[in-house]
Amino acid sequence: MSASPRTTTDPLVATLTAIVGPRGVLSRPSELMVYAADGLPTYRKRPALAVFPSTRDELIAVVRALAKAKRPFLPRGAGTGLSGGALADGDTVIVGLNRLSRVLSVDPENRLAVVEPGAVNVTLTRAASAYGLHYAPDPSSQSACTIGGNIAENSGGPHCLKYGVTLNHVVALTVILPDGELVTLGNAHGEDDGYDLLGAFIGSEGCFGVAVDVTVRLTRDPEAVRTMLADFTSIEAGARATSAIIAAGIVPAALEMMDGPTIRAVEASIYAAGYPADADAVLLIELDGLAAGIDADVRRVEQLCYEAGARSVRTARDESERARLWQGRKKAFGAMGRIAPDLVVQDAVIPRTRLPDVLATIRAIADRWNIQVCNVFHAGDGNLHPNIGFDSRDPDVTDRVHHAMREIMRACIDAGGSVTGEHGVGLDKLEYMPLSFTEDSLAAMCQLRDVFDPERRANPGKVVPLHSCREWTLAPATRRALTSTESSLDTAES
Amino acid sequence: MTTTSNVSAATGSAPTTTAEVREAVLDASARATPVRILARGTWLDAGRPVHAAHRLSVSALDGITEYNPGDLTLTARAGTSLAEIARVTGAERQWLALDPHGAPSGSLGATIACAAAGPLAHAFGTPRDNVLGLEAVTGTGAIVRAGGRVVKNVAGFDLTRLFTGSWGTLGVITEVTVRLRALPEVDESYAMPVADDGTSLGALAARLRTALIAPLALELVNGALAGRLGLSRRAHLLVRLGGNEDDVRAQRTVLSELGELTTVPADAWRALRTAEPPSAAVVRFSMLPSRFAECWSFAHGATASVDDVLIHASLGRGVVRCIIPYESAADLDIFLGVARSFEGTRIFERLPAVGWTDDVSPSRVADRLSRDIKHRFDPMNVLNPGILGDRT
Repeated sequence: MSASPRTTTDPLVATLTAIVGPRGVLSRPSELMVYAADGLPTYRKRPALAVFPSTRDELIAVVRALAKAKRPFLPRGAGTGLSGGALADGDTVIVGLNRLSRVLSVDPENRLAVVEPGAVNVTLTRAASAYGLHYAPDPSSQSACTIGGNIAENSGGPHCLKYGVTLNHVVALTVILPDGELVTLGNAHGEDDGYDLLGAFIGSEGCFGVAVDVTVRLTRDPEAVRTMLADFTSIEAGARATSAIIAAGIVPAALEMMDGPTIRAVEASIYAAGYPADADAVLLIELDGLAAGIDADVRRVEQLCYEAGARSVRTARDESERARLWQGRKKAFGAMGRIAPDLVVQDAVIPRTRLPDVLATIRAIADRWNIQVCNVFHAGDGNLHPNIGFDSRDPDVTDRVHHAMREIMRACIDAGGSVTGEHGVGLDKLEYMPLSFTEDSLAAMCQLRDVFDPERRANPGKVVPLHSCREWTLAPATRRALTSTESSLDTAES
Repeated sequence: MTTTSNVSAATGSAPTTTAEVREAVLDASARATPVRILARGTWLDAGRPVHAAHRLSVSALDGITEYNPGDLTLTARAGTSLAEIARVTGAERQWLALDPHGAPSGSLGATIACAAAGPLAHAFGTPRDNVLGLEAVTGTGAIVRAGGRVVKNVAGFDLTRLFTGSWGTLGVITEVTVRLRALPEVDESYAMPVADDGTSLGALAARLRTALIAPLALELVNGALAGRLGLSRRAHLLVRLGGNEDDVRAQRTVLSELGELTTVPADAWRALRTAEPPSAAVVRFSMLPSRFAECWSFAHGATASVDDVLIHASLGRGVVRCIIPYESAADLDIFLGVARSFEGTRIFERLPAVGWTDDVSPSRVADRLSRDIKHRFDPMNVLNPGILGDRT
């Protein structure tokens, strides 16, 4: 990438510097390189500028200045996203929210907390822990990712099987819309009513505006936790155990599966968790809740695992063993990064009962393209994460990886699944959207975006393919009727 | 345009396919003739009056289209009754954990469209937390399929949440996919008489918030409602416990330290859901859970002038619901005057037509974003116009 003369003379630099100071604006290509990638290694884009407001008022002033200048922008948290959603090029300005990282208040009585959008996920749980509370959504990147980013992606995490995703834990947002208007979505003080604008905003991948503050619901720490490891000689047996546990009416806090290649990568790394290295699959099962009754559930889960063909099932004896079992899971991506310079972490959801056959299909696809796929995923809710380690300097390998990924996504769609369970569409999944949604459905999504951002300046080009964002096709009679009454309708578009 | 109440409309149609729903909506849009959308018609007097000459019923869109017990998901057409869903899923020891007020003959489509929830919302949330996807026909005739059939899905902007609770004003919901849960091994309900003054209730609510229990429902009922449920005519706490035998027993022990517990039959919950008489105003007051006692006391004070008021509340959610029987709309004048002064959130479910005034029940869709959404999804304003207080 060569330096463009535009970036050094961008008139917006002076405007933004006046708001956030000279240390809050980056404009040199060398400085902007850091923001050219997110957690997915396959895309690189260089934004025009990056600006870092430190206060709520600065953030509001920045968004209003961008509106006045009619410049595209995208809000960015920690950049740990895995769909290329936090990337921008051309004229686009990155609004970095990392300096807005405070936990503003914790209300233990009502189990609510108010945070700034750049607050790191795990700092919220730390702030709440003194009250025996925590913030339930726990993406694997929770020690780095931000609450604002979690809202943009509607993030999940291992424990969302029992506790739900970000959508289920945010009660209100103050949002600055791309045109500079400040609005409140949701209701922190009682029931919400009217259109679910809060629900529409969560998961909108930075296309609807920027969260200025976030009110989240906190969850009581469980009285008891049991973490179990079951090992299997086949993925199918692990999948059978998964279905049996859920069907028995037990809702584990987490139910995670790792396949043989993942297990061996973890065990060969500094994150070795004591998984049996010769297993073809392990299930990490966590039960939590009231102390009474939990051991009955542990025994039932053990029995179901053995019935499905488990070689062994063990329960962590203490907190350190539990932490170790979890470390292997949470650091699995890091462990795989050790064996290849680049790692594509994919994300798709299938009906849980389709796990055995879709995993077999994935293995066949990997064999056909001669690549190594590691599967580490949220088995309980059918959320697959096939990962492919490769070397992007080798164009042949890169090409095969892309072909295999496409086939894997197709297989998941064909199984009745979704192309993303928690990572978002971003850039990476754009091509699959027309396979999952009809033109009418994609057009409806564009209509919703246009309500929040009629100029389409917020994170342009993401989530819905541009060609879907046509005007809605009305039946001719309707169009005629509409034209004749348009002037009398109460519209807010002006 | 003929102006009618939201209960009656001159003519009606009952399409049997999504394509027919689309035809009906396109026809209404082309003629600029509003339609009142309904399903099984069990809750028709809810919401503000709709000015519509025609009814569009989805009651003929009936039946479960896909049910995979192993996936704990179910897809049904909008007119399918909750009772039918309970019957089919119950055979697999599963359930849809939504218990909106009204008869079980009510439909899935209306439950989702109105975001209607009951006591189980304490543990399982409201429809927005239980819907995985849906199909709807917008006012432009677009057939939108939102979300999907899997339990976790972030593909695209969230139209599922947008249609849920939109009261049919953005589109006619034709099919819904919901998340199911396994029925608990043990499911028991208990009643505990409680003192009905603000101080005692505040203390009880605080103790319940920290008690080591995880009830499926935790509902306070006033004396009149307790009487309807076969209990003595004094305020009671109703608790529904679910889980395995050990944990239900332990929770029962914790609760018995707070008061005297008696077992109540499971159908007490059905009696609670169907307690409202045909001619009643229904309103929900909500505040932060820490202000629960204040909210409860306000509801009592505001309804003091009316006989036989039924009041119940979700303690954990901080929502108090009042059912106020009336003979003529004038019986409600004092109540509505007081309700206006409530500091928290007030949501009216049912009122006589004259009661729906801006100062009593301000529109929740008057903001710019909501008006723009309505205009884009229903540009001819033919779908349930006015039911949410939108201007017609």
